[in-house]
Formats: sequence, structure tokens, C-alpha cells
Amino acid sequence: MIFKLENLSHRYSDGTLALSEVSLSFAKGERIALLGTNGSGKTTLLNHLNGILKPSSGNIYFEDKPLAYDAKSLLNLRKKVGFVFQDPNDQLFAPTVKQDVAFGPLNLGQTPEQVKKVVDEALETVGMSEFKEKPPHFLSLGQKKRVALAGVLAMQPEVIIMDEPTSNLDPRGTSEILHLLLRLNKEKGITLLLATHDVDMVPLFANKLYILNKGKLVSEGTPKDLFSDAELIRRVNLRAPRLTHLFEVLKKEDNLPIDEKLPLTIGEARKEILQLLGTQKPEKSVEQ
Amino acid sequence: MSHSDLYAEVDRSAYTNALAKNSPITKTFFALSALVIGVSAQSFVVPIVVFILCTCLSLGLAKVKPRLYFGLFVYPTLMLILSCIILALFFGSGQSLIDIPLPWTTWAIYRSGISMSVNTFFRVEGALSCLFFLVLTTSITDLCVLLRRIHMPQVMVEMSMMIYRYIFLFLEITEKMTLAQKLRLRRSGWLSSIRSLAMLVGSLFIRTLDQGERTLVAMTARGYDGDIRILDDFPAPRKIALLGIVFFDALLIVLIFLTLNIGVV
Repeated sequence: MIFKLENLSHRYSDGTLALSEVSLSFAKGERIALLGTNGSGKTTLLNHLNGILKPSSGNIYFEDKPLAYDAKSLLNLRKKVGFVFQDPNDQLFAPTVKQDVAFGPLNLGQTPEQVKKVVDEALETVGMSEFKEKPPHFLSLGQKKRVALAGVLAMQPEVIIMDEPTSNLDPRGTSEILHLLLRLNKEKGITLLLATHDVDMVPLFANKLYILNKGKLVSEGTPKDLFSDAELIRRVNLRAPRLTHLFEVLKKEDNLPIDEKLPLTIGEARKEILQLLGTQKPEKSVEQ
Repeated sequence: MSHSDLYAEVDRSAYTNALAKNSPITKTFFALSALVIGVSAQSFVVPIVVFILCTCLSLGLAKVKPRLYFGLFVYPTLMLILSCIILALFFGSGQSLIDIPLPWTTWAIYRSGISMSVNTFFRVEGALSCLFFLVLTTSITDLCVLLRRIHMPQVMVEMSMMIYRYIFLFLEITEKMTLAQKLRLRRSGWLSSIRSLAMLVGSLFIRTLDQGERTLVAMTARGYDGDIRILDDFPAPRKIALLGIVFFDALLIVLIFLTLNIGVV
């Protein structure tokens, strides 16, 4: 297990209990989505994994060792666990894209030559090489998001944590970020942990889903299991993906013989519909 | 051009002009040496030469848009003209050039006053052209790296970097807030406009504190330990360019001596 949280609670200094007794763990190479409404404690939870917040009680284990909070251990943790913030304007502080991406590797004490190399690679990966010398205020939000991701990639992390990676992005920007993340997971084996309330995105991305509600972990499992549980999804003020909802209505109201596990993606829905129509299985999947 | 547009244009030029990739050392050395020589000259001849040269370099070599370049001169020149009129009319001593009798005194205009006014005018314009050449051709990033190289206190360099980055963000926020106020029918009376401005400044101040907090967290997440390290990789200055500038500066200094006694009137 790369991360293991045991009975993690966090109380802010104003008395708000933001997290209460959260226990979860995940392995290297997994793609995890943390789903919850605004104010459900997602960001607070993420901030613990990078050592920005300390738990009020409970334990965090990274690579089976408890987190230490001295400067050296934190630097080591932050090298391995990259954090991409929700608003790229919070993260991009340097006058040019290049300087910003170089910030992390320079903090790790790499030589200028090494830094230049990792900066170029990171910008290449996110497709922003041509903007290297530009200041961040020349860029669109989607481009800023990608630069923020490059800033984290340049530190060559094993885990990438992203808070609302697709918020405020247009459909194209959303799809680009998602594909980029999936590629990083597949090619470099980077473990991904995304906090989101974009339910339509989750099935395209995650192999494991945690649902947070009012600071408590209410459920965990595969997206298919959790989204098929309509009662649970409604109780935590979320909704299932549109498609899933449609199939739920067809099943409940129109009594169509649909499988217990509802389809989440276009590919699954297509299969289900073809089955209902009595046609053969599609030869090729159009999923994603 | 509104003010924020002008800033954005200057900034864009600094990154996109034809000299953007040249060493900031060369550009800064040229601009500063020309500035010092131009300002120290006694007559108006050397400042005019400096002005012409900086203008040619900015427009010809760096390919800055003339509209932007000359646009920058507008406000300072207006101020300058006012000051020079006052210098010409009320300063100077010695033999007066014109005497205007007034019922209670005689108003004297002096040769030295006029010459001081003309010299001041060209000196300032010459100095401005050096400054504009520098800001239009050299990005803040490059200047920050340069400042770091010449061992300016770290805190100053870091502050300039962050201020530069966030000025543009807050300009944007200010514009949005002003628009939001207007859309909710902000009254245009003097008192209520002051009130609207106060609210705007107040909430902007809170926004800056908040932004600072969040940026600090984001920087911490990437291993910030109190020092902002910057990647120092700008090209080394070309020796021939530096030599050229030294040669040119020497010519200017000779010209200063040659034109020591050139008067205006």
C-alpha cells in the first residue's frame, strides 16, 4: 500500500470538524476518485497526504512508514507526492512558465542542467513546450492547468493528487486533461488520486471510488458498484452519471430487464442496449 | 488605450520583441550607460543623440510598435512640458532677456532659465527613451535573474517576481469587480463613487491576503523552504555587442566635451 490512512480526523482551529475517522488505503498504480459535494472534506483530506495539514488524530502511512513532519522527510514526501491545486492561479507564481516548472526541481537541489532537462520533458508531456518563455497571464485556464501539472511532473512524483482537475474547463480541455492523466498512469505507473464532484468523469477515469460526506467516508468500491446504489448516491447529495440515471429509470419505471449493475459509460450502455434489442454484442468498443 | 491595456502591451512587447532572446546584460548595460551619460551631459546635444539612438534601436532592431513606443512618452512629456514652462519663465539669473513691467514689480525672463528649461526637456526625454528601450525589450523574468546575479538582496528580487505575477491577476479581478459594481447600477455621484471605490479596495485587500495564503500552500507543496530559486539560463552576452556599447559610450563622452558650451539662445 502506497498510502494508508487510519482513523484520520481533522479539526480546524475554528472548531469545524472537517474530517472524522477516515480510514482508507490504496496501492501503487491505482486510479482513485474521491467524490463528495462541496464542503465534504475532500480538499482537507488531500492536504494531509502532502503534509500540508497534520491530522488532529489518527495516522497516515506512506510506503508503510508513518509520515514525519521534519523538513527533510517533508521534502522527500513532496518529491514523491505531487499536488496540483484546483485554481492554477494559486500555483503558478513565477513570471514565466519555464521558471514555474523549474521551481520544484530546483527545490529538490538538482543542478541547472538536470532542471532544464526535466522542465523540457515535463512541458513536452503536457504539450506546452511552445509556451515555455511566456508569462502565465498569457495562457488560458486549460493551458494554466496543464502547466501546473507540468510543475508537478517535473519533480518526477510517484503519486499525483489533483483537486478538481476538470473544474471550469471546456469539454475539450476536460478530455485533454483526462487523457493526459490516464497516459501518465499507464506509461509511468503514476498513482492518481483525484478529488471531484464531476460524476460523469469518474467512470471514465477511476478504478476505485471513495465517497465522502460531511467529513466521513461513507462508501468505497468500484464506480460500478457505488453508482448502481441509487439510494446511497442520493443520500450524499450526489447523482449518478446521466447515462446511469437513464438506465435506472428504464429499469424501475419501465421494468426493462436491465442488469443489477447499471452501465456507466457509453460503451457499456451500448452493449446493454444491444442486448435488450436482442442483437449481438458489438464487435468493437467505443469506450472513451 | 486604457492603463491596464498599456501595461499588458508593454509586458507583451518585453516577451515578444525581436531582441527578447538577447542577453539582458547587454540590453541593461546599454540602457543604463546611455542613461547616465545622457543625464550628465551639460547641453541638449548628447541627450538628443541618445534619444535618436534608443528610438532607432527600439523601433528598428527590437521591432516595437511605434504606437506603443511613442504612446509611452505621452503622459511624462505632458508633465515635462509644464515643468519646463515654469523653469523657463521663473528661473535663471544674470542679465535678463525680456523684462515685463507689472504694476507691482518687473517680471524678468532670463537666458539661463530658458537654456535650463530646454536642456532639462531633452535630458528627460533622452533618459525616458533609455528606460523605455529597456522595459520594452527585457522581460521582468530576465531582469530578476540579472538582479539575482548582481547579488541584489534576495527578498527584493523575490518580491518583484511575485508582485509582477500577481499585478496582472489583481488587475483582472479589479476589472471584474468594477464591472460587477457598474452592472448593479453603481451611482455616479462623487460621494457614492468614493464609497464604491472603498468597497472595491477593501475586498481587493482581503483577496490579496487570501491569495497569498493559498499561493504559500501551493509553493510549500512543491518543496518551498523560504528561498525562491530561479533557473539562471539566459544567454551569455556577446562580446562584440558589449565592445560596441563601450565604443559608443566613449564617443558620447567625447561629444559631451565638444558640446560643453553650446547654448540655446
